[in-house]
Formats: sequence, structure tokens, C-alpha cells
Amino acid sequence: MTTPPAFSPHRRPLLFVVRFVVLLVVLYLAVAWNPVNDKVVVPLTAAIARVSGGILNALGERVTVAGTEIHSGAFAVQIENGCNGLEAALLFSAAVLAFPATWWRRLIGLAVGFAAIQVINLVRVVSLFWIGAHRPALFSSSHTVVWQSAVVLASVLMFLAWAAHGERARREAADGADGA
Amino acid sequence: MGRRKGRAGPSASSRRRLDGRAVLRLLAGFVVGLGFWLLFSAPYETAVAATSQALLRLFERPAVTTLDASGREIRVDRSDFPPASPRPGLPAADLHFNFVLLTALFALEPRPFAPKRFGRFWLAAGALFVIHVVALVFQIEALYATQLGAWSEANYGTFARNVWAGGFHFYQICGRFAAPFALWWGFRPDAE
Repeated sequence: MTTPPAFSPHRRPLLFVVRFVVLLVVLYLAVAWNPVNDKVVVPLTAAIARVSGGILNALGERVTVAGTEIHSGAFAVQIENGCNGLEAALLFSAAVLAFPATWWRRLIGLAVGFAAIQVINLVRVVSLFWIGAHRPALFSSSHTVVWQSAVVLASVLMFLAWAAHGERARREAADGADGA
Repeated sequence: MGRRKGRAGPSASSRRRLDGRAVLRLLAGFVVGLGFWLLFSAPYETAVAATSQALLRLFERPAVTTLDASGREIRVDRSDFPPASPRPGLPAADLHFNFVLLTALFALEPRPFAPKRFGRFWLAAGALFVIHVVALVFQIEALYATQLGAWSEANYGTFARNVWAGGFHFYQICGRFAAPFALWWGFRPDAE
């Protein structure tokens, strides 16, 4: 019986998964730490509530925002972890950091990815509030299954696009070096 | 040319085409997975609850926990609960809706029903079942450790409370979304 080489293609997916899981746990511990939660996560969530409230008011919903809660005469939502885009941002960040790339490319990926996830999340919060206020029977399934899946799948697609772009750039650089 | 040094990322996978067709396949996989999930949620919850109950009772002296998956909840009962007290119910869909994410991700690849890919999908789904069982055990232990007032304080120390509650919180915040992604990445035939 032969031992596979240390970095054989068969082991590389597993190595990525191990790095991804370790990084995910580290990032989770960082955001779950009370000082980070109080000084970063809660203000971020309140900012999401304020921006969403502004969009909803612009759409004629007449809402009031108090902290992380958005309410109108008909409906109210409390934005919590899991609805603030943090879950998708953690997944995306762990995947980007686990994937081989230069630190510069990773930083660009993290910045663009985080911004895109927050834009998608704003659409989620606004649409969920609208569904809750006007189609309450659809709120639970839209919240749990449709929008959570959409945000997570969007973050996975963004990661795959980022990784494919990086691979293409690396191949082109390698081809250029071989040709020189 | 020397042998290329290995890195942790599977480069073959990232060379995969990510085009409009792939996104359409992903959406189709999501819809198919959603239909399958809606159809089989009830028996699936029964299976997860029964396995978690067996696991919990393995470490209980005496074995007191009974789990009942009915409706959209998993009802937690203990033979030492006062008969008149209300039984906690845990929302079941939150635990296992990530099956839909797994089907969507496996559909991202061309020919997802090819025997090897389909087989790998079911292997990943089996691994996801194990994750659901473990997550439910953590959720119930977190409930026992933090939600039952003086009884919780008397039976669970600070460390145990943090492990059970922190473990389930991790699953809630990012584990349930990361699990399908990690399983898809690890189980894809293309990864080799």
C-alpha cells in the first residue's frame, strides 16, 4: 500500500475544508466575543436597520427604527445575528482566507465581498419587512428558507468567481513566465 | 520543470466554469431541493429526533429525554419534568433547511445526475444528517444547561453551559450555512 504524497490532488480539497472550518471557528469566536459584539456587531446591525428603515420610508411604508428594530403600525422586525449578513460574511471570509492567493487579492476580495453581501442583505431586510407587512403568511418561509439560502448561495457564488478570477490571473502569469 | 508545490486550495475546482448555465443549474437545484425538502421534512425530522434521542439517552443516568417530532417542532420531554409544566418546542426547519443549499450546490456542476456525482451527493447528505443530529443534541443540551433556571445551575457548570450554548450558537450563526458548502467542496468528484 502506498502513501499518497503530502499535497496530492486527493488531499487538497480536504486541506481547504480543514482550513475553512478552522478559520470559520476563529472568525466566529472573534465576533461572538462580547466587546466585538457590543462595539462592532450591534452598531453594524443598527446601521442596517437605519438604512433599511430609510429605504422602506422612501417606498412609502412609514416605519420607525429603534436600535435594531424596525416597526410600522402593521408589522415589526428585530434584526439579529443571522439577519445582518454576518453569517454570509463569515462564510465568505473563511473561504477567501482559506484559499491560496496573495494577501492583496484576499483583501480586495474581502472588501468587495463584504460590501456586496451587505447590499444583498439590505434587499433581504426590506423585502422581508414588506412581506411581513403585506403577505404575513409568506413571512416565515421567506425568512427561513428563501432569503437565508439566497444570501448564502450568493456569497458562495461570489467566492467561486473570486477564486476562478485569481486562478485565471495566476495561470496567465505562469504562461507569460514560461513564454519569456 | 519542477513539481509544483501544493497549496491548500483545490485549483481544479476553481477552474470550473461559472457561467449563466451554472447559475441556472444552481437555481434548478434549489427548486428541486426545496420540493424534496418540503415533501420529506416530516419523516426526516422523525429520524433526526429519534437518533438524537438515542444519543442523548446514551449519556443520561437515568435516561429521561424523549423527543417528539410533530408539526413543525421537535418537542422535548423529560420523565422528571413536572406533569403540568409546558414542554419546550424547538423549530425544526431551522435545523435542517440547509439540505436545500446542499442540493443547489451539487447542481452547480454539469450533469449532476451522473452516477458518481449523484452518489457523492448522497454521501454528503448522509454527513449532513449526522451534523443535524449533533446540532439537535447541542440545542437540547443548551436548553437544559441555560433555560431551566435553578435546575440548570445545579446540574451544569459554567464550562458545560458555555460548551453546549456556544456550540449551538455557532451552528445557528454560521455552522448551518457553512456545512453544506464544506460538504459540497469535500465530496465533489471534480475535487480530485
